[in-house]
Amino acid sequence: MTQLAETYACVPTTERGRGILISGSPKSNTILYTNGRSVIILNLDNPLDVSVYAEHAYPATVARFSPNCEWIASADVSGAVRIWGTRNEFVLKKEFKVLSGRIDDLQWSPDGMRIVACGEGKGKSFVRAFMWDSGTNVGEFDGHSRRVLSCAFKPTRPFRIVTCGEDFLVNFYEGPPFKFKLSHRDHSNFANCVRFSPDGSKFITVSSDKKGIIYDGKSAEKIGELSSEDGHKGSIYAVSWSPDGKKVLTVSADKSAKIWDISEDGNGKVKKTLTSPGSGGVEDMLVGCLWQNDHLVTVSLAGTISLFSAADLDKAPILLSGHMKNVTSLAILKNDPKVIVSSSYDGLMVKWIPGVGYSGRLQRKDNSQIKCLAAIEEEIVTSGFDNKIWRVSVHGDQCGDADSVDIGTQPKDLSLALLSPEIALVSTDSGVVMLHGTKVVSTINLGFTVTASAIAPDGMEAIIGGQDGKLHIYSITGDTLKEEAVLEKHRGAVSVIRYSPDVSMFASGDLNREVVVWDHVSREVKLKNMLYHTARVNCLAWSPNSSMVATGSLDTCVIIYEVDKPASSRLTIKGAHLGGVYGLAFTDQYSVVSSGEDACVRVWRLTPQS
Amino acid sequence: MSYRGRGTNASSGMGVAEQSMTTYLELQRKKVHRYVIFKIDEKKKEVVVEKTGGPAESYDDLTASLPENDCRYAVYDYDFVTSENCQKSKIFFIAWSPAVSRIRAKMLYATSKERFRRELAGIHYEIQATDPTEMDLEVLRDRAN
Repeated sequence: MTQLAETYACVPTTERGRGILISGSPKSNTILYTNGRSVIILNLDNPLDVSVYAEHAYPATVARFSPNCEWIASADVSGAVRIWGTRNEFVLKKEFKVLSGRIDDLQWSPDGMRIVACGEGKGKSFVRAFMWDSGTNVGEFDGHSRRVLSCAFKPTRPFRIVTCGEDFLVNFYEGPPFKFKLSHRDHSNFANCVRFSPDGSKFITVSSDKKGIIYDGKSAEKIGELSSEDGHKGSIYAVSWSPDGKKVLTVSADKSAKIWDISEDGNGKVKKTLTSPGSGGVEDMLVGCLWQNDHLVTVSLAGTISLFSAADLDKAPILLSGHMKNVTSLAILKNDPKVIVSSSYDGLMVKWIPGVGYSGRLQRKDNSQIKCLAAIEEEIVTSGFDNKIWRVSVHGDQCGDADSVDIGTQPKDLSLALLSPEIALVSTDSGVVMLHGTKVVSTINLGFTVTASAIAPDGMEAIIGGQDGKLHIYSITGDTLKEEAVLEKHRGAVSVIRYSPDVSMFASGDLNREVVVWDHVSREVKLKNMLYHTARVNCLAWSPNSSMVATGSLDTCVIIYEVDKPASSRLTIKGAHLGGVYGLAFTDQYSVVSSGEDACVRVWRLTPQS
Repeated sequence: MSYRGRGTNASSGMGVAEQSMTTYLELQRKKVHRYVIFKIDEKKKEVVVEKTGGPAESYDDLTASLPENDCRYAVYDYDFVTSENCQKSKIFFIAWSPAVSRIRAKMLYATSKERFRRELAGIHYEIQATDPTEMDLEVLRDRAN
């Protein structure tokens, strides 16, 4: 049996030039955010406690808890809103098609009966409010001519809805049934976010014109604004009230978050400016914020979530990070006790420690994209979409200088000879390149389209897989390859080849869903009929004692076979990663780490079958 | 060869030998066999019995007896216990047509299957398998419940 042991969550998807909206639970310290098609529920007190809802068919944009914490409403870019339960396997209550374009913000009414959603649409349908269980409309919302970026429900009676958008307008609606009351055009740029204070007496709008304006909650008269002295120097993307309604937290593109004291007359003065440590680049722009009980959460463009403590504002924040995009490869760094390095194609490498979670980002001086990653002891070798192979030495958290070598064509696959990590084999479209350190030893044109390669730990042998499914075995002498054998079994292009740790076997997977285990010495098929995947095999890993093989595929499943048993006795992990499993590794005999398109890394515990 | 309609009907169907029918009836009525494997004999243009398995044999023996690169028909008597604790037995007809076999073989077995199956009365479930994963014991278990 297999069990999910840990999930290392992904971070919210961010977009430059726009804020993102994260929300929290009214009763506990969990926050909600979206990444791709998933909605992530993260416990701030224990970042390893994370659940993922992956039922949207389109990228999800925003999710909110209902006031009684029983339901979550989440919306996506197709204009659909799904209402599902927080417990009981996220059972779906209802799904509504609310707008004709993407939904940017969503709010529950304080009694949990109505939901207002706003976003992009055509003509009248920029905003819609409806009953949560039947979907019937509860008002007409005209008054906006462009995308509506945010909406808010007054948390106390009489109910009011405020919306603000790209047309610089802040509109106020009375109801139910909600009707247009009045409009303000005080901002000179996109109005990004609007929020009511918890007691409903005031609401604040923030905008890309660096201003924040405070209005009366019942009459919508302007009562004050955030003072421009010591104010933000960039667009303000999001705002959040403190639970007592006396302070607000704003985040801005000037990479800082500010806490303002809101006085009774409605003017705001800066109380404190919070900056999170960062390299100061574009990725530190803050795009989202939330004041959740004692925690101040800010999200940067790179996806880093910084947790400040509201009680002690000077304390350094806890930083949580992860991947935002498809995690394409995983490797285990051997020296530290079990550090897992994962990389995504945008060039981000993150270290994880089992049991602890996020352990740091590997900062490289040159952030090029990464396609393949191989790690050994204290060194990481990566290849990207340019023609270079980078060797980076890793000491603790820092990366040393990266040395690169240009190999002339785009590398397709990369492997290191484990016993002599100086030797690396890189396969390119039509052949292979052998590297010693950062020097190209030889470039060999093999005459067939190469799709996967592996080099034996002693560096004496290499197996190259081709587009036609044939495996060519070569012996390496110095800098030349001599073909020893050609193995035919696969019916599709070979996608991955791996030697077992004891070098007695190797396994190969292809695009036709099949995996075969071969005996190394006799080159005979050892285990076949491993056809249980329903889509191409993306990755493959051996257990440390060479008794088990794990395969991951585009069909989101991870299947673990035991080499001594027939292929039909296998352990399947279904739905390991929405979108496909791209990286696999064994951390010890009974733990498998997998990563995939949903930008999460998961650790699974295997209990041996009797 | 498929156009010679001597004693056969339906599109290019093969005849069914007497022996195949009797062996099947033995499996069904007297439970003498656990499984029967049928092969198409191209020269005699009939479906004949290739192999039978005794009642003590298991599903794995059937899977082991099927050739990897050629098509066959098989009939298997599946015994199981339902959730209400009753012992039941269902007869499965398996059309084994692996993807790696020759096209001619696949065509032959595919076109003759209908006629052959009609002769065998009392089949509970039919499975078409194009690789070993599709005729896994689990598949039988799911179908029978």
